[in-house]
Order: sequence, then structure tokens, then C-alpha cells
Amino acid sequence: MTDHDLKQGDRGAPRSRDHDLKRGLGRAFGVRTSPLRPAARWLDTNLGGSGLLREELRHIFPDSWAFFLGEIALYCFIILVATGIFLALFFQASEAPVAYQGSYAPLHGAEMSAAYDSVVNLSLDVRAGLLVRQVHHWAALVFVGALIIHLIRMFVTAAYRRPRRINYLIGVSLVLLVGMNGLMGYSLPDDLLSGTGLRIAFSITESIPFVGPALASLLFGGEFPTSGLIARIYPVHIFLLPAAIAGLLGAHLGLLWLQRHTQFPGKGRSDQTIVGTPMVPAYALRTTGYLLIVGGVCAAFAAFVQINPVWLYGPYRPWDATTAAQPDWYMGWLEGAVRMWPGWDIQIGGLLIPAIFWPAVIIPGLIFTPLFLVPWLDWVATRDGAFHNVLLLPGQHPARTALAAGFITFLSVLLVAGGNDVFAIMFGWSQPTFLRVLQYLIFLLPPLIALFTYVLLRGRARRWATTVR
Amino acid sequence: MSAGRQDPGRGPHVRTWPVGLGIAATIGGAIAFVWSFVVGASNAWIGGSLALALLGLGLALAFWGRDLADDEVIAGRYPVPPDDTDGQAALATQLDEHASVITRRSFLSKFLLFGVGVFALSQAVLLGALGPWPGSSLFSTGWSKGRRLVTEDGEPVTRDVLATGGFLVAFPEGGDDKASSQVALLHFVNGDFVPQPGRESWSPENFVAYSRVCTHAGCPVAEYIDVDQMLVCPCHQSAFDVLHGAKPVAGPAARPLPQLPLAIDKDGYLVAQSDFLESVGPGFWDAS
Repeated sequence: MTDHDLKQGDRGAPRSRDHDLKRGLGRAFGVRTSPLRPAARWLDTNLGGSGLLREELRHIFPDSWAFFLGEIALYCFIILVATGIFLALFFQASEAPVAYQGSYAPLHGAEMSAAYDSVVNLSLDVRAGLLVRQVHHWAALVFVGALIIHLIRMFVTAAYRRPRRINYLIGVSLVLLVGMNGLMGYSLPDDLLSGTGLRIAFSITESIPFVGPALASLLFGGEFPTSGLIARIYPVHIFLLPAAIAGLLGAHLGLLWLQRHTQFPGKGRSDQTIVGTPMVPAYALRTTGYLLIVGGVCAAFAAFVQINPVWLYGPYRPWDATTAAQPDWYMGWLEGAVRMWPGWDIQIGGLLIPAIFWPAVIIPGLIFTPLFLVPWLDWVATRDGAFHNVLLLPGQHPARTALAAGFITFLSVLLVAGGNDVFAIMFGWSQPTFLRVLQYLIFLLPPLIALFTYVLLRGRARRWATTVR
Repeated sequence: MSAGRQDPGRGPHVRTWPVGLGIAATIGGAIAFVWSFVVGASNAWIGGSLALALLGLGLALAFWGRDLADDEVIAGRYPVPPDDTDGQAALATQLDEHASVITRRSFLSKFLLFGVGVFALSQAVLLGALGPWPGSSLFSTGWSKGRRLVTEDGEPVTRDVLATGGFLVAFPEGGDDKASSQVALLHFVNGDFVPQPGRESWSPENFVAYSRVCTHAGCPVAEYIDVDQMLVCPCHQSAFDVLHGAKPVAGPAARPLPQLPLAIDKDGYLVAQSDFLESVGPGFWDAS
């Protein structure tokens, strides 16, 4: 598009004779004029930047299955927003007591909060309501899973090195925020499990030395159970945290776009040269396909695997409890830590640090702080502060991969401990004995697995070095 | 850098079957979705047909893109790491110049910073609107001297309601603060129960009441295992020995369940002698 064309457009004059002439000549010589030409012209005259768009449509993406993990997470977010809007049309964020009148006979006439009533109605009396609710829940579970596997991939391939340190920080923040929002989400239905979870959250907040009681009272609006808590969690779940997640996701993708994607080592690939497929058409088709596949998988789970059947749990009443109460899987490690930590209350003068403070506040801090610091810890270990666009292979650097294996093992033992009652019943073990075994395993297994991984990979890394180079 | 097979005159080779099958599945799934929604079919039908439609289209696009990708692998340049030390120095100098317009007024600029800080801190008071100061709420429950024990339905508990070996959940009459006031009321066989020192008068006729709020994380200690004489919390499996002051014997809890001092009034009703003498539920900084 030339200046000449723009001026013509500005004056609102008909297309120049020059333009018609060119088109006529094009036809005469068999040169095809795109039917999208008017659209491109509109774009340039109204927004400008068709040249930039042309360039960005050819944006190169290196190809690997491992690069779709982050995309799965992104698509879960899109699915969560879409289904969440549907759910918000029905949900009542209120603890006002109502008598259940819906179609589920066992609850007939039972007194419950408007929130719980609305979720049961949505599940059982709104057409496709249960499906959308279950897609929402499944998408949340897949979301955190995809984020965590994505994070592991970042770590074992050292993708967090310059120039992607900041983007790595954004990524770890996303894991935290998404997990928190999942917790908020399953607290909303006000069923027996969600209320119990909130009770535990209150106790954990309360346990923080010095500020705990005041902080818990501020966050929950008084001593648990408080009326108005659901109304308080609701905007956090549907606005505050999603807005933060959307903002960080935007920044994450924006940086990825500007810096371009990392690539695995291969022919013609270097820190300067990127090899891959262009955005349009191949990559765009595939990634749109993956969005639909993630949606399809969530829909299939929602159709055939029941999740969080709140009508079976009953409304939350502070004196009711249920056995085999587990949080969503991504909070299972925290649950496990809370179950495993022995009852070591610390008394200082007349003051108390309750035992639960250590597993529920300090351990998460000890997990996430080094996770945030990974790019800088890597620098301390390797003194490598250079720009890297080519990834390391996980087998190439056994120490880093071994560390990841040990860390994953640590979290897995915690996760198993989070369901120790269920496992004990399932296998007929004594529950306290099983817990004691896990208390030993949490110290033994991570270093063992790390060592095993290191030894295994060191041999392969040597062979790799001699054969490939 | 073409890897795939080329169809003469049609560009890159795209396999027809997987893509066509996928699109057909989508059309079938979409029709089934509408049908199952309209007739109000089960969740499995509505969701299954939706899944079929999404997966069909998704796989079709993924296959199509996959085949195209084989034919178009290109190379490009990564953004060059900045090595413009002159530019960076110039930027720093420029920022210094901008800032100096303000910082040259030494007093005013510091005063400005101070003022902004005071204002920002002042807004923190809004946090106080979020909830009350805990005050005494964590230390008190609905129990007081002479308050009757009632069941969940509000029926007063008399000495005749609960046989020896029995167990029930009780609340203060009037329904105040049921969450933190709930107690497990146990009636022991004579001689089984050993009162803790100083609590000899708290368990008339071997009726004993323990707070039912777990001292670990606050769940109701809902399971009573009478063969072991233990109260067990279903959340984290803390177990409390009810014969010996409800001391924790297994699981992560550290402190015993507080005991409610009981009495039996002249009409045979179980009543509280007072509130709990210690704070109930999970521990906190200044818990007593």
C-alpha cells in the first residue's frame, strides 16, 4: 500500500484509475488478484501495520511435542473462562438459608445456603449444567497438571536461562495463582467438603505467629464460620485472580513472541538461527486443533467421569464431617505435609507456634522460594549468564535432571500422604504404620531417586557425547 | 527443506482420510449434541457428543497442520542479544537528566516522596474494614454456667438419655456459636474413666464432654471408635484417648481436646459448670 493509495482513500474518492489499470493488466496477464485485497486495504487504512502483520504471520515456531504443554495450559484457561461465564449465570454467592425444593429427593426440605442450593440446581435441574460444571472442574485439574509438567520441562531443559529469566518468574507465579484460584473455586459450592477445606484454611492462617489471628479474622471477616465468606471468595475467584492470571499469561506470551521460542539442538539450529514452521498456516491449524482436542478431552472426562458430586456430600455444617476427604489433587501435597508433620507445638513463654504452621506455611515457602530463584541458583552453580536459545537435553546434564527427579519424588510422597487414609483402607494397611513408613520415605526416597537418575543419565550422557560428537 | 510428499499442482500432500473422518465425526457429534440436549438426555450423551465433535474437528485440524508442517520448515533469526553499551549509557544519562529536574529541588523532592509514602500507608486502614479484630472471639464459646446440653435437634440431654458406653454430639441450649461449642458427650462405664488431676468434679456420674473441634486443623472430631476409646478426626486422622483427658495418641495433633466441666442439675439435666477453661480448636499465637 503506497502513500498515493492512502491519499485517495482519505479523500473518499473512487478507486484510482491507476489501481483499476493495474488490476486489468493483472487479469490480462493471468496474475491472480486476491479477493482479500479489500480486507488488507481496510486493515491498513484503519489500523496500519500490514507489513508487520505479514511478518508476524510467518513467525517461526520450533517443533516439539514438549512445546505444547504450555499451550494445553493456555487452552484450559480459555475453557475455564468460557465455562465459568456459564456457571456464573446460575451461581448465587450467598449463605442465606433456603429450603431445598429441587428434584434431588434425599435433600428435599433440607436447609442449606443459597450457594449450595444454586450449585445443586445447576447440577441436577439445568440442562447441560452438570456437563459445564464438570468440564470447568476437569479443565482446572488439567490446567494445573499441564502447568506443572510445563514447569518441569522448563527446568530439565534449562529454558529459564537468559533471556527468559523474567518469563520463568511469570510462569512460576502463574502456577501459584492458578492453584490458589482452584482452591477458591472448590470452596464456592459450600458443600461439606468445601466448607471443611475453608475451616482448615482458617486454622492455617490462624497459626501464623503474631499476626495469625488478626490476619485470619480480616481475611475471613471474623471467626470461622462467618456469613458472607462465599460472597467474599466469589469476586476473587471470578475476577481478581482470573484478571491477574490473564495479565500474566498475556505478558508470558508477549515475551515468548518477542524473544521467540527456544528450540532443541539440531541441524541448522543455533542460538542465532531458529528453525521451525511458520505461524500460518501449519502452526495455526495445529494449535487450533489442540485447543479443540483439549476441550474434547475435558468434555469426555466431564461426560463419563463424575467429579465433585456436591449433592452427595450435603451442605456444609460445621459439626458434620466425612471420611476420605481429599482436596483436589494439586493441593494434595500440602494435605500430605499437614498429615505427616508430627504434633510439635512450640511454646515460647506464654506464646504458641502451632505444629501446623510448619507444614502448611513454611514448607510451601521452602518449595516455592527456590523454585522462583532457579535461574539465579543456576547461575551460581554454572556461572553461565549468557543468552541461550538452544535448549539442553534432559539427558545431557544429569545433575539438573536428577535434582528435578528428587524434587518430583518429594512432592509425590507428600501427595500419597495426602491420601494415606484412602490408601490404607484400599490395601488393608494400618493407617498409623503407613504414615510412619511415609515419614521415613520422605527422607529416603527423594535422594535415592535423584541418585538413581544421576547414575542412569551419566552413563547415557557419556555415550551421547562420544557417539554424537 | 521439504520433507513430505508433494501432490503435483495441489501443494503439500495432506492425507484425506484422517481429516475427512474427523470432520465427519464433528458433524455427527454436533447433531447428536443438539438431539441429546433437546430431548434432555443424560450427561454422558450430551458430554459424549460434545467430546466427539470437539475431538473430531481438533484431530482434523491437527492432522492437516501436521502434514503442512512437514512441507514447510524454515529458518529465521533470533533477536540479537543487545550489546549496545553506548546506547545503555546514553539512556542512563538521559534518565538522570529527567530525574534531576525534580531532584535538584532537594527538599521539595524528598518532601514529595514522603507525602506519597504517607498517603499510600494511610490507605492501608481500609484493610481494617475486612473483618473485626479477633478480640475474645477465639477464647469464648456458647457455654456458660448452668447452660444445658442439647442435641442437634434442640432436645435437652438428661442423665437418662445416654446409657453407659454411649456417645452423642451436644450443643449449648439456645444454639449460640454451635461451630466452636460442639462437644462429644460420652458416658463411661463406672471405673473406666480416669479424671485428670484438678478435673475430678467435671465428670458427674461418668458423663464426660470434650470439645469436638480438632486442635490440629479445626475439623470436627467426628468418629468415635468405642473399642479403642478414641475420638478420631476424619480430616488428618488425629486420634484422642478419651479415657485419659483426650490426649492425642496418633496423627498430627499436639494438644488434647479441651474438656467441658459438666454438672447434673436437680432435674437431671446435664449442664455446663462454665465455659471451657482454655481456647478450643487449633492453636494460635496467644492461645491459652
